Amino acid sequence: MSWIKKDWTAQQADKWTKEDYLTFIISPLVYVLLALGIAFSLLLLWYGWIILGVSLILLLIMIKIIDPKLRAISEDYEMKQKKYLEDLEKIARWEE
Amino acid sequence: MVNFAFLDWFWVVIFIVLMVVCGILFYRLGKRSISDFFLAGRGLPWWLPAASVYATHSATDTPMWVSGVIYKYGLRGIWYTFFSAWCAISAFASTRIFRRSLAYTQAEWQTLRFSGLGAELLRGWIAGWQVFMNMFVLGWVGIAMGKLCHYLFGWPDWLGLILFSSLCAIYVLAAGYWGVVMADFQQGVIAFSVIIIVSIWGIVAAGGPQAITAKLNALGQSWRLNPFAFSGLTSGDFPLVWFLTMLVMAVIGGFGMGTYIDWYPEAQRIQSARTVRDASYSIWSGSALIIIRNSLWAVAIIAFFSLYPHIKSTADYEMAWFRLGFEFLPVGLVGFFFAAVVAIHLSTISTHLNLGASYATRDLYHHYFKPKASERELVWVGRISTLILLVGSFIYGLMMEEITQWLIFALWIMAAGIWLPSILQVIWWRFNSWGYLSSWIANLGLSWLVVWVLPEFHVLPLLPDYLQFWIMMVLGALIYIPITFLTQTEDMNRLVKYYVMSRPLGWWKPVRKEAERRGLLRLEESQSEGGN
Repeated sequence: MSWIKKDWTAQQADKWTKEDYLTFIISPLVYVLLALGIAFSLLLLWYGWIILGVSLILLLIMIKIIDPKLRAISEDYEMKQKKYLEDLEKIARWEE
Repeated sequence: MVNFAFLDWFWVVIFIVLMVVCGILFYRLGKRSISDFFLAGRGLPWWLPAASVYATHSATDTPMWVSGVIYKYGLRGIWYTFFSAWCAISAFASTRIFRRSLAYTQAEWQTLRFSGLGAELLRGWIAGWQVFMNMFVLGWVGIAMGKLCHYLFGWPDWLGLILFSSLCAIYVLAAGYWGVVMADFQQGVIAFSVIIIVSIWGIVAAGGPQAITAKLNALGQSWRLNPFAFSGLTSGDFPLVWFLTMLVMAVIGGFGMGTYIDWYPEAQRIQSARTVRDASYSIWSGSALIIIRNSLWAVAIIAFFSLYPHIKSTADYEMAWFRLGFEFLPVGLVGFFFAAVVAIHLSTISTHLNLGASYATRDLYHHYFKPKASERELVWVGRISTLILLVGSFIYGLMMEEITQWLIFALWIMAAGIWLPSILQVIWWRFNSWGYLSSWIANLGLSWLVVWVLPEFHVLPLLPDYLQFWIMMVLGALIYIPITFLTQTEDMNRLVKYYVMSRPLGWWKPVRKEAERRGLLRLEESQSEGGN
């Protein structure tokens, strides 16, 4: 999956990109397949195991796509969080 | 009535002591600050809030509700429980945006996204509504436990309500959200294990999967194994358009904040996660567990149907999963099962006690009554609010029979008419506080008209719920969109600050341009960003 970006700078990760949009499509699909796969597998229907398998493969793909980006966002944001929290308290205390 | 042996009571007592003590152990952490009492200091790894999301949304009445829809609709009933799929997109969209805002509550977020009087009105309204809603949910779930104890032991309804909610309040009062989330983890593990055990036990008791399928075929009920057995495009009890409406509501709703009642407990868990990444994974995996749980329950209820296919009373077949546990598990395991039911119950009660108290403390007391209050004082206000919510829930619980119908209606109308505005407030810079406020007010009037008044006077026919949803959405938009354009844009300083901090998705181009002009966005980003 060379078309999926793995190395993100904080600046790049702040933008909404194709990796996010792909995740928006795959993620609900995983939920649907999980719901069906678990039910059919418990009923010992052969296609239940296939659906469940596909849902797990899609889940792994989704994590591979979005995880590097989420890591980059998180690392950068945590550095700014203290300052943002101070601003938040000013609003709560009517100092702003 | 169910007879408990010594071993059964042993499990129940041990589990309750474990749950309460586990919560109290975090007393010292919970009292440190308001951030600890309501958000566990914003330092939790993803799996703790995930377990809490799962445990919170597994309440005493949840298996009754799932049993009801599966017994009635077969595997199609899975889709009635599928609304939790809003987390599929939310985990990577609105969760990310909300976590970056750092707002303690959804009410507080209103004053970060909007400005001026409109924002304050929204904050006050949402805070008050959430205090009421949490008290209501506590009463609703509490009386469900009262009724279960009546069914099991012949106790009066009030005893189960007061006893278990009070036990739960011990650790919520002591340790706040630290107690909630640590007990939730333990309760979530117990509950999930027991759901697997009882569901598989039920399937085996019905003769196993092949016997269940054969029995359904013999009864002419094989459609119950098809989750896509639509009754027609728009006709029957399971029309295709209902299914599509549900999918759109659930999945697209994830772009917004407050599109579902469940958003509010999730918002607290999002802020308690230590990073944006942890917040995303906690919401995604907590809801995935809910979806897996629902499928486990669904097959167990199908098994129950094959054993008892002729139950007509809703109240009777809603007890299906409980009956599988209490009628088929051996002595000793029945107590284990009841202990898990108590775990399921406490996890929901604890969340709503702490969540309601957070709105009362942070958004009402701290923001409006005493902005200069110390951390110690705020923690104590949190505890007093928890106690008020507990007592209020007893009153609601005991009058629930009379008010349930009205309040379910209230829940429905709030979900239907503010669904789209709750998305617009996240994705569209021009949508302002007056637009959002007017959508709440318009929805209140329109829903009464569309659902009750106009059908009563035969101006409109009695419409199916999916049509009510679309009609209310269009009628509401005809009011709040013009109001948005007729009132001023939000203060650009506030919008820029919010944009730089939260990086929202959608149509924010004028705000981004202004942020660039002020030099608040990094150069590389400014050069490469497209025209959103």
